Amino acid sequence: MDDNLLATCMSLLLAASAASSVPPLRRFRPALVLSALASALALATAIHVTGTGEVTTLTLWEPSPYAMLELRLDPLGAVFAAIVGGVGLACSVFGVSYARHRPIDDVVYPLFLLMLLVVTCAGNVYTFLAAWEGMALASFALVLGDGAPRPRRQAAIVYLVMTHVATVFVAASFFIVAKGSDSAEFARMDGSALSVPLASLAFLFAVVGFGTKAGLIPLHIWLPRAHPVAPSHVSALMSAAMVKTGLYGIARVGLVFLGPGEPWWGIVLMSAGAASAVLGVLYALMERDIKRILAYSTVENVGLITVGLGAAVALRAEGRDALAGAALTAALLHATNHAWFKTLLFLSAGSVQRAAHTLNIDRLGGLARALPATGAATLAGSLAIAALPPFNGFAGEWILLRTLIGAGGAGGGDAVRLTSLIVAGAIALTGGLAVACFVRMFGIAFLGIGRTPEAIAAREPSPIMAGVLSALAVGCLATGIASAWVVRWLQSVPAAVLGAPAAQASHGGQLALTGGGAFSPVVIAAALIALAPLPWLLARMVFGASSQTQGPVWSTGVAFRPTMQYTGTSFSKPLRLFFGRVLLPERQIEVIYHGASPLPRLVRYSGRVPALFEERLYLPLRALALWSAGRLRLLQSGSVQAYLLYMMAALAVLLVVAQ
Amino acid sequence: MNGNVEAVILGGIQVAAVVAAAPLLNGFIKKIKARFQLRQGPPLLQGYRDLAKWLSRSEHIAESSSFVRVLAPAGILAATVTALLFVPVFSERTPLTASGDLIVVVGLLALTRALLTLGGMDSGGAFGQMGSSRELAVGALVEPVLLLSLAALALQPQSTRLGDIVAFGDAHPEEFISLGWALAAAGFAVVLVAETGRIPVDNPDTHLELTMIHEGMLIEYSGRSLGMLHYAAMIKQLLLAVLLVNLFLPFGMARFDGLPGYALGTTLVVIKVALAGLALAILESALAKRRFFELPDLIGAAAFSAMLGAGVTVLFA
Repeated sequence: MDDNLLATCMSLLLAASAASSVPPLRRFRPALVLSALASALALATAIHVTGTGEVTTLTLWEPSPYAMLELRLDPLGAVFAAIVGGVGLACSVFGVSYARHRPIDDVVYPLFLLMLLVVTCAGNVYTFLAAWEGMALASFALVLGDGAPRPRRQAAIVYLVMTHVATVFVAASFFIVAKGSDSAEFARMDGSALSVPLASLAFLFAVVGFGTKAGLIPLHIWLPRAHPVAPSHVSALMSAAMVKTGLYGIARVGLVFLGPGEPWWGIVLMSAGAASAVLGVLYALMERDIKRILAYSTVENVGLITVGLGAAVALRAEGRDALAGAALTAALLHATNHAWFKTLLFLSAGSVQRAAHTLNIDRLGGLARALPATGAATLAGSLAIAALPPFNGFAGEWILLRTLIGAGGAGGGDAVRLTSLIVAGAIALTGGLAVACFVRMFGIAFLGIGRTPEAIAAREPSPIMAGVLSALAVGCLATGIASAWVVRWLQSVPAAVLGAPAAQASHGGQLALTGGGAFSPVVIAAALIALAPLPWLLARMVFGASSQTQGPVWSTGVAFRPTMQYTGTSFSKPLRLFFGRVLLPERQIEVIYHGASPLPRLVRYSGRVPALFEERLYLPLRALALWSAGRLRLLQSGSVQAYLLYMMAALAVLLVVAQ
Repeated sequence: MNGNVEAVILGGIQVAAVVAAAPLLNGFIKKIKARFQLRQGPPLLQGYRDLAKWLSRSEHIAESSSFVRVLAPAGILAATVTALLFVPVFSERTPLTASGDLIVVVGLLALTRALLTLGGMDSGGAFGQMGSSRELAVGALVEPVLLLSLAALALQPQSTRLGDIVAFGDAHPEEFISLGWALAAAGFAVVLVAETGRIPVDNPDTHLELTMIHEGMLIEYSGRSLGMLHYAAMIKQLLLAVLLVNLFLPFGMARFDGLPGYALGTTLVVIKVALAGLALAILESALAKRRFFELPDLIGAAAFSAMLGAGVTVLFA
């Protein structure tokens, strides 16, 4: 049944794309309506596959026994297919009301979804690489749009370059494993025959290749450029679903193909994840554009998921399978949770853009009163992404921290134990910074009073958009409370990948690991909800009803004006100074005097936080690439004889090597 | 009696006791500080009178406030009391022992910080926003110290449940008291000072804009809401003090059963908390408030200490 559903959903996506290229049909938004339908089907299929642990296969096209288009949806892939389906559903429905009519977008959007889906259920290396490339090109087209503003064009090109370099590493990693296992089919690929150095090389290639797509620092530079410029429903799809395909790749190669592996692989992965998490959220705190804040926060969350995957690799290599299973569960749970709240927040940015015509938080304010539904939903998403109970972000963080503290306990090598604890500290720091980041985003943009006429005049743009946001907010809370059942749904993955149980989701919706210490999201949520109205009721009973008067904000006796409020930049000043040695902020103050007067006539202030990785790492690399390209041009003489000579030489070298 | 029922009743009494006694600790610290300044100081029970005053008064609300104004005080109190459910006070049995652990307590405290800072930003007044900005910066640094100092203690018993840590420390003091324990305790002590808004991090006695963090966030609140926010801060202060003394000096608590045992446990925890309060008052009287931008040195040292504590426990325990 699952294979039929899968085929139906893919045909629907193709039909959506085709129908969008027929002008008379366009006003029915076939791209979005059919995509929503297909996403729902994909979601249902994927939930079923992960829930039952059964593998579904489907051969699409078989030109030769060695190269065929083959789908194989197993529990691990299905988790990510479910993410694609769920995010696709929300984005497509939101898009019906939000997306502007632009033929190219309508044709490409369903294809992007299709490619995302095929990546998660590709059955062999060729299918995977073809879909991987299709996914990159489709998203490139969506980022580029009409390519009108220069930053947009630049963002798209940076993305294209990064993603292609990444594909080289991905392909190299796959080919090493495929050669070692004499098969390019995912079901039969197994690196256990590879020597340790070769397997390590395949692992590192996978981390670099997939890590670029996932946005691990320092491979992240395309992400904060490309995600913000696309339309919001596409940004959400990229940030909440596409980056996860990179994590899927790391899990597939690092855990499934390369078997138990080496502990240091896990240590490398955990360190990279922790660095991404801390730096990602720090940079998010320095941004003023809502979508750029969200893009950097994706870097942070990808880091957290990577820590989970790294812990799974390290613990499994040491034979601590139960903890490895918990670590993998934490990674997958956080991946699905992140899909909920990141979709919500990117779509909310879409609503804000439509309502107030800007995403710069320093030009917004007071939106919680102007857009009550969007405001409440965004608050829920902000609390969820800041990993606060009882929302879903906390459940993933709980399993991850509990696993890391468990990994620090007796039973493993000192290196893994110490790394686990240091990384646990880094995750706590990330959590604290994430609270600061999202309180700042919500507090500056949604609280206080509007800073511009547009922000003051903002109204809910459409009931469909508000409805999707509210549904996602309810989802963030519901999956948080019911996280034990989500973990139970995920249990088939660690069972299939490691042969180990997940965090035991025992009776009563409680999460627990081996060793003491459990967490029951149901009880915590119930306690919070029961206790919250209690103080008001008790105070009313004891002291009677209290009256209220209204008045303006106290501002030292002068009339309160919007410009008196903190801006996003001033709000993050303490952290900019605390972390000055990491962020290296720059500021320039220029004072102009007029004649002999001691009073300055004009003071100009400008400050910025430089994108260090771009300036210190990528610009020199680009210079090196251009310089070497210039040198290589000596070969390009323009004479046919020379070219024939090169071809002869290349052939000769190949023949010698192949001998 | 059924063990579970007993645990729930016991736990309920512990939570109620902390909630009821919270203003007392505040009064005690104020009294000691006043004595150091050769003043009489407010009476010990002044905290209760202040609360009653705030709770019975009418509220003045800023026109620019939103639903966050109602959500914040109630949510902060709820989250603080929920965190209390997992903290051993005079017995290691807590009411919902299988529902939460140290990570949950850290998470709930983070929730109170998020709601408090959102409440501070609600009306748009710059004082509240300044307080929120500073509180979040300090809180972000404090969070890893809090988690790591508690995690260092969780390594030996292999459990993150606070009751298990207490029971282990009480049963095996010779393994429990170690270099790692001392380093973690130093880290946690700084958390206590920073999270309760005390010198050298914040000054609880002033409304001067240059120094304040916590008071700044409350500036737009009045009457009933203000009372709740103050009350939540007092409960949180006692919660952290109890955590400090019970987790790092758990002796004489875990194995008590029956009324005499509970009475002794209660006496011990009262003495221990009073000593912690005394230490806080002495610290506050002896030290000057540090400049805000020097705080990373202090909290960074605490983080390093907690991290070292965990590392030492891994390598040598």
